Amino acid sequence: MKTFIKVIEIWIPDQERTQLEFGSGLYGAFTEFKAASTQQTFAYDEGLPGKAWAQGHPIVLTRFEHSYFKRIDEAQKAGLTCGIAIPIFAGEFLLAVVVFLCGDDEENVCAIEVWCNDTLKGDALSVMDGYYGALEPFEQISRKMSLAKGDGIPGMVWKTGMPMLVEDISKISGSTRSIDAQAAGITTGLGIPIINHHGKVYIMTFLSAKAAPIAKRIQIWIPDPLGKQLICQQGYSKNSNNLAEIFETTTVRKGEGALGRVWLTGLPVISGSQVREYNPELSDLSSMLAIPVIEQASLKAIVTFLF
Amino acid sequence: MLNSLLVEDDIKATLLETALKAHQFNILKTHYSAAFLKFVQETRPDLLIFNLRSPSEALLADIQTLNQKSPLPVIMFTLDGRHETLQKAMQAEISAFVVDGLDSQRINSIIQIGLARFKQQQILKHALDEALTQLEDRKQIDRAKAILIKTQNYTEDVAYHTLRKLAMDRNITLGEMAKNVIAMADLLK
Repeated sequence: MKTFIKVIEIWIPDQERTQLEFGSGLYGAFTEFKAASTQQTFAYDEGLPGKAWAQGHPIVLTRFEHSYFKRIDEAQKAGLTCGIAIPIFAGEFLLAVVVFLCGDDEENVCAIEVWCNDTLKGDALSVMDGYYGALEPFEQISRKMSLAKGDGIPGMVWKTGMPMLVEDISKISGSTRSIDAQAAGITTGLGIPIINHHGKVYIMTFLSAKAAPIAKRIQIWIPDPLGKQLICQQGYSKNSNNLAEIFETTTVRKGEGALGRVWLTGLPVISGSQVREYNPELSDLSSMLAIPVIEQASLKAIVTFLF
Repeated sequence: MLNSLLVEDDIKATLLETALKAHQFNILKTHYSAAFLKFVQETRPDLLIFNLRSPSEALLADIQTLNQKSPLPVIMFTLDGRHETLQKAMQAEISAFVVDGLDSQRINSIIQIGLARFKQQQILKHALDEALTQLEDRKQIDRAKAILIKTQNYTEDVAYHTLRKLAMDRNITLGEMAKNVIAMADLLK
């Protein structure tokens, strides 16, 4: 099983908090790109992570050539063609920037979008930035569309302020875009609220086909009503994974394990083996990215991408 | 009929060749060179027979490499009986090492003993590998059970049966499944 995301990086502010340094990363077989990345730093407004910091919202960079991307040669050599940077803020202060680097555009039925509201235009959501690969008709439809609170995945994420994982988008009722998405071959959708600050909302959607999912498994963990422990609200992968399901029945206390650390610190985490080969026969999962969803300096949820 | 690769210092020597032919061995004769390992890979003999004044360090290293990757019976006739050479020959897992004992009457019995010893060594090696794998699997299974007991509040019995069911669902061994459980737990560590 191939996944669309090839490389994941976490960039964190250095001691002086004036530039971003390498935190951790999942590079798979891209060892040369890893070597070119781990010593890199990004000043405010520099490179893809620095831009996301300066602009204060997620960025989708669909072309590296002649752009502000700093590792163009290495990325091209590795076949990486598209980058997504997601800043994680607590209020106006940056905690980290998560960068996804993707490749194989023509083979993938996949779209990654940043939706934001425009208070001047009736407060509806529209696509601010997006990567659609070969899905041009779907891109055209999506970029012209505006969604009210509660409409489609972005609208529902806005309404609830919570991440949302839709395993089968044909089951979203009353959404014209879901029909267009199905026509484009998209089956699964994930929406994550990234920023909700002073009325400005940014929501990311990851839309994918079963054949090339965003990750091998996606989970949404939320604090229980008493705020004592995390529980897994939802877990989904293309093939059922009863091992993952067993671990999704566990609860996690603040500070305990990788997810507990995300809750404790508000920082995204990459865990697991960096080198273990994935065995598709076993549906095994050997690495994980956990992204916190923070609103008003409190953890609302953690979204995990398992590979 | 066994295919033997015969390596001699003296390419004109006929004693070994004649004795081997008399005992129905197919023979391919060569000199030792830097391309020896490649030559063995290409010709794929059933056994290697050497008749050398003294085996070089490079040759003994090549035999050791060969025996680590795809073991073969190796019979060595030599005049070099130094302790150091014997030690290296042992390390290289040579099946029969005969010092100054090239006698046409004894050649066949030496080779047969070498072949039998090689076979016995392989059986022991295989048994050792299996025992080590089982021991390692046992450790992994115990670790995976401990994880399930701790995270799921399972009893030891339930943990074992869960592990076994997961393995059966995937059609893999308990040891392999245990590694998956450990990897999954590592993610949440």
